Amino acid sequence: MSQYVCVRIIRMDDVDIAHFEYDRNNPLYFFLMNADEQIYTRYGGRDSAAVDSYLNLDSLELALKKGLELHDQWKQGKLKAAPRPAPKFPREYPLLVERTFAKNQCVECHLIGDFQNIHRQLDGTLDKKKHLWRSPDFKLIGITLDVPKGLVVKEATGPAAEAGMLPGDTIRAWNGATVWTFGDAQYAYDMLDRNARQVKVRVERAGAEKELTIALPIRWWLTDVRWRQSSVDPRVYFDDRPLTDDEKRQHGLPPEGFASMVRRVADMAKLMKTHELAVGDIIVAVNGVDRDPDVHTAELYIRLRKNPGDTLELDVLRNGQRLKLPLRTLQMSFRK
Amino acid sequence: MHPVLRALPALAALALCLPAQDAEGIHWLSNYQDALKEAKATGKPIFLEYRCEP
Repeated sequence: MSQYVCVRIIRMDDVDIAHFEYDRNNPLYFFLMNADEQIYTRYGGRDSAAVDSYLNLDSLELALKKGLELHDQWKQGKLKAAPRPAPKFPREYPLLVERTFAKNQCVECHLIGDFQNIHRQLDGTLDKKKHLWRSPDFKLIGITLDVPKGLVVKEATGPAAEAGMLPGDTIRAWNGATVWTFGDAQYAYDMLDRNARQVKVRVERAGAEKELTIALPIRWWLTDVRWRQSSVDPRVYFDDRPLTDDEKRQHGLPPEGFASMVRRVADMAKLMKTHELAVGDIIVAVNGVDRDPDVHTAELYIRLRKNPGDTLELDVLRNGQRLKLPLRTLQMSFRK
Repeated sequence: MHPVLRALPALAALALCLPAQDAEGIHWLSNYQDALKEAKATGKPIFLEYRCEP
């Protein structure tokens, strides 16, 4: 570490958030870079299970060593600089300024992400699949990493195995971007168009490099984001599961629809009187819509297509009877 | 327990064990511009940490 200039920033007020862009729901995130602000590699990233799933001192040491190698290359003029995005600063978001600077309060990382999304929603540029469902999970496509070893594959199943990935492979590039750490790889994955149905991955195996094409399932980007503080995510206070094809047939429902069964109702629903769904209810449609190419459940449809504060009408099957039930979505409020 | 709280000990260990301890002889700057100046002057790379303080 003595070979680095170490700097710790805990306030985001004056940070170029375009250059230092990352999923702001990471409480710790690192950049290894040079004095020209050229980023060598990122260290950080997470999954929905825990903030530290991919943080490990051994892998950090690997990252630090790689940073020094890349720095030597840069000093020798051998490292090409990546294009830098136009600068962007927190003060350029009026609602964020109103919420933080104007009240002399700290600009916290997750607030930046949230207010960027609020502004996107106002501008009509919000793409929830991309802006809310950040940090796609490698495990959903069958990649389990050996975390202390960075990007070494521990286990490959499902789509990754079908593409030819093997345990022991080291991931070297993701969707065309060279990656040295999990942080790099997850960020490259995060930048993938959410409508993509495949991703090209380069792996190193026994000293040679090999390119694989991994077929992506339709909802490869879908993770549990309920732990995120997000103002654009309508709170619905229930969980559901998709009906099986047999269940849809049994109830005379279209196979391509998102009919789903309620499996849990949060206490907040009763407290805030947002809906009267019960466990076992089958939600067939939302405001008359029963299908959507991106979704497989009513809950996901509402969260993806509706806004906090919307009042909706649900078509529900309960004990063989068809009902119309209202549901009011709420917006999450922050503690300060 | 909230997932973030459960992870705090590990995060703290990671943050502290990073040669952040004065006893290790590592000096953490708290100003980004100062870090750029020092990196230019010394020829060293920069290890930049963004930490969200609760």
